Amino acid sequence: MTKDDTEAEVMIALCARLLEDQKTAFIGFGMPQVAAILAQRIQAPQLVQVFEFGAIGPTPLTPFVRNTMGGPSNCYRSIAWTSMNQIFAQAQIGLMDYGVLGATQIDIYGNVNSTMLGEDYQRPKKRFPGSGGANEVASYCWKTVIIMMHEKRRFVPRVDFVTSPGYLDGMPGARERAGLPADTGPWRVVTSKALFGFDEDSKKMTLLGVLRGLAPEQVVAEMDFKPLVARRVEELPPPTEQELRILREEIDPARTIIGRTAKA
Amino acid sequence: MDVLESGVGEFRFTDPDEVRSWMRTHKGREFVDKTVSEAEAVGRFVADGDYVSFDFSSFTRGPLVLIREIIRQGRRDLWYCAKFTLMESTLLAAAGACSRIDVGFMGLGDTLNRAVEEGKIKVSEWTNGTLTLRHLAGAMGVPFLPTRALLGTDTLKYSGAKVVKDPFGGKPIALVPAVNPDVGLIHVHQADVYGNARCFGPGVSPLETAAASKKVIISTDEIIDHDDIRKDPAKTTIPYYMVDAVVYAPFGAYPGGLPGVYEMDFEHFAGYYAQERQGNLKAYLDKYVYSVGSHLEMLEQRVGLARLNDLRRRATVKEGYR
Repeated sequence: MTKDDTEAEVMIALCARLLEDQKTAFIGFGMPQVAAILAQRIQAPQLVQVFEFGAIGPTPLTPFVRNTMGGPSNCYRSIAWTSMNQIFAQAQIGLMDYGVLGATQIDIYGNVNSTMLGEDYQRPKKRFPGSGGANEVASYCWKTVIIMMHEKRRFVPRVDFVTSPGYLDGMPGARERAGLPADTGPWRVVTSKALFGFDEDSKKMTLLGVLRGLAPEQVVAEMDFKPLVARRVEELPPPTEQELRILREEIDPARTIIGRTAKA
Repeated sequence: MDVLESGVGEFRFTDPDEVRSWMRTHKGREFVDKTVSEAEAVGRFVADGDYVSFDFSSFTRGPLVLIREIIRQGRRDLWYCAKFTLMESTLLAAAGACSRIDVGFMGLGDTLNRAVEEGKIKVSEWTNGTLTLRHLAGAMGVPFLPTRALLGTDTLKYSGAKVVKDPFGGKPIALVPAVNPDVGLIHVHQADVYGNARCFGPGVSPLETAAASKKVIISTDEIIDHDDIRKDPAKTTIPYYMVDAVVYAPFGAYPGGLPGVYEMDFEHFAGYYAQERQGNLKAYLDKYVYSVGSHLEMLEQRVGLARLNDLRRRATVKEGYR
């Protein structure tokens, strides 16, 4: 069964397990949406999803429909429909427990790049769509969770462009010194192979767990920097039958987000 | 106030007294019928070089009818505000209608990314939230608003924001300049002929965009009696005196959806993405914009009643959208 899991299914399941019931979670486009719905279907039925265009507490209809984030199926049975200024104000005032984001590139201090690659901002080697609402989410939410593909080129010593703030230069109190809300920042990084946190003192990314069957060295070998490694690295169970059933049969039977298995 | 850091991005700014003066002289308080065709609205109210903002998204209640008309009329050098944009910015760029973009989220697909890499489109860096906050400042008549976003990042460095020492609390705080777009484009569920407008469901910033913009074009799926507005005033999103033109445009959000009324056209978007990937947006624009004379002609000749009925059929969730 395990060898059939897609990388997306692993990332989504690992992320969903992190989200506690009756908490607020600022949810980004794509994989974070599916992770939040999965969490709602398993351990967190009253997880309050929040979207940047102002929907609070929806219970999305499934099958999940990609694209229509602001449409009726994704905003189904919300608690409130507000607006972008209102919802980011609520995050800024401290009402959002989690922020869940996808990312293109990340560094050892959890700074996220979704803007461009290259040295020269004016003539980027590769341009991406930009922050969207990610900068706000990473600035305001108490605990930011970042979901990423586990690829060497995505885990770099220093991102080319800090789109959304992690622990900046990693110096103690760097976020607060910049004026960011106190005690916020990246909390977990979820990949297709591993789970990371951040060291309390050095603010460096720290390997907390690896997917069952993988060794920590294998995971670290596919990163362009050396993360810290927890004294005891947890073994992460792959997606369970229940998680896979809900993902494949209820949430995303068209597999627009979870992808196809190698065999399919 | 000590300025601790200044972004280098270019930005559009209008002195608040100039804005007030504009609101005094250009925003009529008379109750006059403002309904016009999309061609007349764009012809009268959108000029080359204008700063253009919209609400809400390409997929959901977006003013696509007005975007297509702007392209059809061959506007040039627009400065487009890409807060939460997915398709409009790409279409405008592919048509050569815009030369600058304020980036919140630029759009899906690589067309725009390549245009930026090649230096064809100039960008300033913002975020969805700070662009929307700039509209709120513009809608309040103040020159800037503070935010605790942007801080510590390169996004700030390439924006037009400044970091100052908060004169009350002493911590660093980012200030973003007000924006008063030349044109605000907003698609709504219902409007009366004067421009009192209702949007149902969540949205990015319909009211802030309408209030901040010097010229406002509303496109609406339905025209309702003015009496209906007065019977249920809590439903009014935008009051008439902010609005310059009302365009009656059923399916005006097409190929996006209008919550509770019609679903987005997934097949259309799939075709669009395929052409975008092949670098063939000229063909897309030919089919849906240049080769038809109006929105109605596009619906009749390029989409058809059967498809439109099907999109209505799929919009089974009505609750909350009335």
